[in-house]
Amino acid sequence: MDAALKLWAVILVVGALNYLSRLSFIAFFARRSMPPLLERALRYVPAAMLTALIVPMVVDVTPDGLHPQLPKVAAAVLATLVAWFKLGTLWTLGVGMVALWVLQSVR
Amino acid sequence: MLPACVGLVPFGIVCGVGAAAAGASWITSLGMSAIIFSGAAQIVCAQMIAADAPFLVIVLTTTVLGLRLLMYSAAIAPYLKPLPERWQRALAFMLSDQVFAAAIRRFHMDDDRIAAGRHFLGSGFALWIAWQVSCMVGYFAGNLIPAAWSLEFAVPLCFIALVAPVFRNAPSVLAAISAGVAVVALAHLPMRLNLIAAGLIGIVVGTVADLARERWTQR
Repeated sequence: MDAALKLWAVILVVGALNYLSRLSFIAFFARRSMPPLLERALRYVPAAMLTALIVPMVVDVTPDGLHPQLPKVAAAVLATLVAWFKLGTLWTLGVGMVALWVLQSVR
Repeated sequence: MLPACVGLVPFGIVCGVGAAAAGASWITSLGMSAIIFSGAAQIVCAQMIAADAPFLVIVLTTTVLGLRLLMYSAAIAPYLKPLPERWQRALAFMLSDQVFAAAIRRFHMDDDRIAAGRHFLGSGFALWIAWQVSCMVGYFAGNLIPAAWSLEFAVPLCFIALVAPVFRNAPSVLAAISAGVAVVALAHLPMRLNLIAAGLIGIVVGTVADLARERWTQR
C-alpha cells in the first residue's frame, strides 16, 4: 500500500474507533452500567499499555536482547519519581531531559 | 485549565516531531492530531508506520491502548446526562487523558451540571486548539533541534508523566511490571506484536491481582 494512503487509512480508522470508545457509555450504553469485570480490567489499561510502550524506548530492546544504557535508565527512573509525586508533565520532562544530558556528558 | 494547556504543549511537540520522523506530510500530521486527538495513539501510529507494521496490527495496538477511553466515557457519562444530546456528542470527542482529569475535577466541584458542561466544552475546545498548534510546532521545529539533544527521549518521558501517577496500588504496579517484562521478553515477535501482547498480559495480571486482593481483604 502507498505509505501516505496507509497513514490516512490508519488516521481515519483509529480516529473513528477512538471516538466510538469515547462515546460508548455516554451514548450507546447510556442506560447500562459497565460489567464489573470489564470495569476492573479497564483500570489496568494505562499501567500495562503505557509501560509496554515506555520500556523499549528506555532500555533499547532489539530482537537479539537488551541493551540498557545507564543515562537513559537513570533519567527514566528519576522522571518516574517526579511524576509519581504528581508534579506534572513539565517537571517530569524537565527533570528527565536534564538528567539524561548530565549523565551523557559525564560518560 | 491553563496548567493543562501548558502541560500538553511539550507532549504535542513530541507528537509533531514523531509524525515528521515517520515521513508524514504536514497536512497528514494535522489530520492525525485533529482526528485522533490522543498523544499516545498518535505516537504509536507514527512509530509503527515508520517501522512499516501492517495496517491491522497498528489498528489493533491502538485499540487496546484506546480501551482506557471506555473507562473515561463510563466515568463521565453520569455527569453528562442532564445535557442536550448534541453537547454530549461534542464533549465525547474532547475526551482525552488531560481533558478527562480537568473535567472530573470540575464536575466534582460544581453542582450546576449545565455550567460545568459548558466549562468542559470550552476547556476541551481550548485544549484541542492548543494540541493542534503544539503538534504543528513540533512538526516544523523538529528538524531544527540538534540530534545531540536526544529529543526522542521526550516521548517515553511524556508517557511516564501519564502513567506514573497510577502506580499507587499493588495491582497497578504488578500490571506495569509484567507488561514491561513481557514487552522485552517478546521482542522477537514480528510486526511489533510484542506491544499488544505485553499490554494484554499486563491487563490480565492487574485484573487477577485486583481480584485476589479483594478476596484477601474480605476474609
